Amino acid sequence: MSVEQLLPLLLLLPLIGALINGTVGKKLPKIASGGLATALVAISFFIALSIFLNLKDAVEVKLFSIISLPDLTLDAKLLADNLSMWMTLIITGVGALIHLFSMGYMHDDEGYSKFFTYLNLFIFSMLVLVLGSNYFLLYFGWEGVGVCSYLLIGYYYSDEQKGVLNSLAGRKSFIMNRVGDLALMLAMFLLLLQFGTLDYKDLATAITSESYKFDGSLLMFGITLFLFIGATGKSAQIPLFTWLPDAMAGPTPVSALIHAATMVTAGVFLTVRSNFMFELAPTSQNIVLYVGLATSLVAAFIAMRQNDIKKVLAYSTVSQLGLMFVGLGLGAYTAAIFHVTTHAFFKALLFLGSGSVIHGMSGEQDIRKMGGLKKYMPTTHWTFLVGTLAITGFPLLSGFFSKDEISGFAFQHGIPLYLILMFSIVLTAIYMFRMYFLTFHGEFRGSEEQKHHLHESPLNMTLPLMVLAGLSIIGGLINLPGIFLKNQAHYLDHLFEKNVAGMNLIHTEHLSSGTIMVLMVVASLVCIVALVVTYNIYVKKKSLPKDESELTGWEKWSANKLYVDELYNAIIVNPILKLSDWGYRTVELVIVDGLILKMAKGVDSAGALVKKWQSGQVNWYVLWMVSGIVGLIIYFLVKI
Amino acid sequence: MELLIIPFVFALVALVVPKNVVRVTALIGGLISLVMGFVYIAGYTPAADFIALLPNCSESCSKPFFLNFGYDGIGLVMVVLTSVIIFLIFLSNYDNERFASDKRFNALIFFMQFALIGVFLSLDGLLFYIFWELSLIPVFLLFLWYGEKDKRVTLMKFFIYTFIGSLAMLFSLLYIRNLAPSFSIEDLIAVQMSSQTALWVFGGFMIAFAVKIPLFPLHAWQPDTYTKSPMAGTMLLGALMLKMALFGMIRWMISIAPEALSSMTNLIVVLGLIGVIYAAILAIKQNDMKKIFAYASVSHVGLIAAGIIVLNLDALTGAMVQIVNHALVAVGLFLAADIIERRLQTRNLPDLGGIAKQAPMFGFWFAVIIFATISIPFTSGFIGEFFLIKGVFGYNPVYGGIIGTTVILACVYSFRAYQASMFGPSKNFNFPDLSWAEWTAFFIISILILFLGVYPQALIEIVTPSLQKLIEIVNIK
Repeated sequence: MSVEQLLPLLLLLPLIGALINGTVGKKLPKIASGGLATALVAISFFIALSIFLNLKDAVEVKLFSIISLPDLTLDAKLLADNLSMWMTLIITGVGALIHLFSMGYMHDDEGYSKFFTYLNLFIFSMLVLVLGSNYFLLYFGWEGVGVCSYLLIGYYYSDEQKGVLNSLAGRKSFIMNRVGDLALMLAMFLLLLQFGTLDYKDLATAITSESYKFDGSLLMFGITLFLFIGATGKSAQIPLFTWLPDAMAGPTPVSALIHAATMVTAGVFLTVRSNFMFELAPTSQNIVLYVGLATSLVAAFIAMRQNDIKKVLAYSTVSQLGLMFVGLGLGAYTAAIFHVTTHAFFKALLFLGSGSVIHGMSGEQDIRKMGGLKKYMPTTHWTFLVGTLAITGFPLLSGFFSKDEISGFAFQHGIPLYLILMFSIVLTAIYMFRMYFLTFHGEFRGSEEQKHHLHESPLNMTLPLMVLAGLSIIGGLINLPGIFLKNQAHYLDHLFEKNVAGMNLIHTEHLSSGTIMVLMVVASLVCIVALVVTYNIYVKKKSLPKDESELTGWEKWSANKLYVDELYNAIIVNPILKLSDWGYRTVELVIVDGLILKMAKGVDSAGALVKKWQSGQVNWYVLWMVSGIVGLIIYFLVKI
Repeated sequence: MELLIIPFVFALVALVVPKNVVRVTALIGGLISLVMGFVYIAGYTPAADFIALLPNCSESCSKPFFLNFGYDGIGLVMVVLTSVIIFLIFLSNYDNERFASDKRFNALIFFMQFALIGVFLSLDGLLFYIFWELSLIPVFLLFLWYGEKDKRVTLMKFFIYTFIGSLAMLFSLLYIRNLAPSFSIEDLIAVQMSSQTALWVFGGFMIAFAVKIPLFPLHAWQPDTYTKSPMAGTMLLGALMLKMALFGMIRWMISIAPEALSSMTNLIVVLGLIGVIYAAILAIKQNDMKKIFAYASVSHVGLIAAGIIVLNLDALTGAMVQIVNHALVAVGLFLAADIIERRLQTRNLPDLGGIAKQAPMFGFWFAVIIFATISIPFTSGFIGEFFLIKGVFGYNPVYGGIIGTTVILACVYSFRAYQASMFGPSKNFNFPDLSWAEWTAFFIISILILFLGVYPQALIEIVTPSLQKLIEIVNIK
């Protein structure tokens, strides 16, 4: 089959899965329901792989016109280029593994088929997002994944204790995302008004051919700023980042798939897609850079004193996303996508690993009640260790290379930026090792009952862990720096040189081999020192997290998430609620409604005839109306 | 003509058939009208001109001068929409013991359909006015006979507002009639006015429409009337009656007196904008589910009105899509509120919770409607709002940004209404899932919403030529 046929097929398979599971899934045996969902995503992956390997030039496949007006056409058109296919591989590849894991993890859930319906629907939406050939279609996928995310965060909505809280977390995530979505919409309006199209290729042609006209213009600044605000929503950057930690209320495979590996990187993808505009808006690029940097720091700081295993991972995701945006702000688009890729491997691994831990611990998520788990869960333990080492940038693992590339760009930009970035990377190493040691080393601190139930997870859960662990180890190969290989280096860079819209997608580092070497040694040392120090604290000295009431100073701020939620409540949420109350009691009831009530009373006291109207004989009104109409008709009939 | 005659005949039939077949008669009648409408759509080739329903014979035959019926793409869409909604209303009342077998009730709804279709097919000013007023009667009587207890003040308010509005429109019509050779729409459009005169004519229409839409600050009658009407009355008001006003803006007001646009556009956009935000904010803290949806309606239609008045093709297209979407969504939302109220005798949010667990089908379909309310892509709500907001944004970017916040605020109140009733642990009540009639109603609504969300072109094709003609008329004048 040709690409023109394969591409829609690859997109539709997950949708078909969702339709089948959504309608008859409940009647199917669990193995069939989950198996079907998993298999379809896996098939999509292999189709994507075959397209990717045979892709010479970008291919566009028009399905139909969503809207076609004389001056405006918006098509449902798919675009396969190296960027969109690369993202498709991540989404379907990691997605299939997480589907497989879910078959074990969700086995006892009563909404089993519903869960897979949502997961498949999510994959479909995410594919629409990356495969669409224009911003309009991207927005379909963009909101589609938002809806799936909303449904899955609030998945346990009927839980006796936490049901209401879970659904509120879903609502919070959706509303915060909506703020970003509005900005994205405004960006689209600007594009439409200015260029009359939302098609990436047309826009790239129109803008790059006259780039002198747009360089540094207010228009480009406005468009890219709105695009970036949209990205901050989906990708949990300051100021719209507080929803992601709350999103951990969803089932853990969801956290791995949606809130770590794929959906949250949509903002990065959006920025890379729009590279030809960001390149013309230096101010926006700086905003991207510093927002990313600040987010990376703030999230890493908060993660230092979190004790919920999933919350630590959530803040680390926010922090890693910040890192990617630092790359984007520096124009290092490939480096950002590189980190998206390796992050998808090791963060999915870590989340699934934490899922395996939670599964083994009978639902416990507090690392203070864990400890010594490596004895009981060997596979989970070694794969989790690989994930931890990868994210902390342990030499030669995947995270090492992708982080190193971004910090290399930072170094090139200036030493202060590099140092701040390294500080955030140090914090990451510390809190990740802290979590790892507290969970898997030392004595078991949970209840006797939990200890009794402790068990390694079944193979369909550990198999994805092993595959992801393998990828986390070797994932760095896809964009090795030039000092390691002569010919095959910078694979990803070369990939995106071809057939991706934009002008300067490729900014290779201009650092000398010597500098690169030094930076790598520094990064390695930082990671190893953090490892040794945390080992000393949490394994040798067996120190445990303090009780929340004992925390002081920075620890208190970290444990309380810098009070950002409290701040937002005080300056945004509560004022709106008060306004709603005040508006209803004062404006609505007294002014708007009061006026007409006075009029009604005026009519009431306007003489005997009118009093007759008011005597409850409402039928009279109707009579009046009808006779008025009839009178009019007669009047005009007679007059003519 | 059968579009108009069928509902009228069925209104009479519903009064005479035996009580036990009333509900089936209603469904059949609704279905016939519906099929008829789609037959017309299928045979329609999009064009700008009106297609007359009665032979045009002003001199040779004895047809009364003013019986001038006809349609273009816009009118046809409105007629079919009316038939769809009326059928849905019958369907959603099918299991309602109180109404389903009530002859008077069903006759009133058929009569309402008759009046509405009359409004949408009238090509004569007087005819338009007559049907406009006729449509009040069924809503009024439904309210009077079946509404909630403390309704007198509300009814009074409703009456005063609509009465004043209609009066203003009547003056405008009579005034312009004196400048034209007849009441026919072509003659009225051909009238040339000074912008001063146009302002008065425009203003008269606008008062009537602003009341009915309702536009801030003339909306005070609406939340109470919606809340205290029986469900069918609320659906008629929210889904169809206010569409008469939006339709009236497009068909009559703008094309008759576009000279006034330059001085009125800004005012109406600003009022629409205030209404959008104001009503959305008030909706956030209401506890009565129907009241939340009533304010939601004020908020949504404010945007449609603003989009219509900025008068560019994208925004008008968006307005047509949103008119259809809002009608479907309104029926869906009020049906959901009614299902809850009929099963639990309350629609007070703090008393509800955990329904989705007990009635998963209801939970699912209600969610689809909510997603269309907050204009998620893949639903027609998104297509409509996207182009409406774009229209306002093109008119004035600051207004566009402000009015755009509706996509955020709508999430807040819609999700609150949904989550407080459907999510959380099960409460201590028994909630039977949907009956087949309710299920079918939700199913039809959702299919239409999703179809128009993915392939709006099907609808857009029908209305584009007429909308282009409208813009042309304005530009020429």
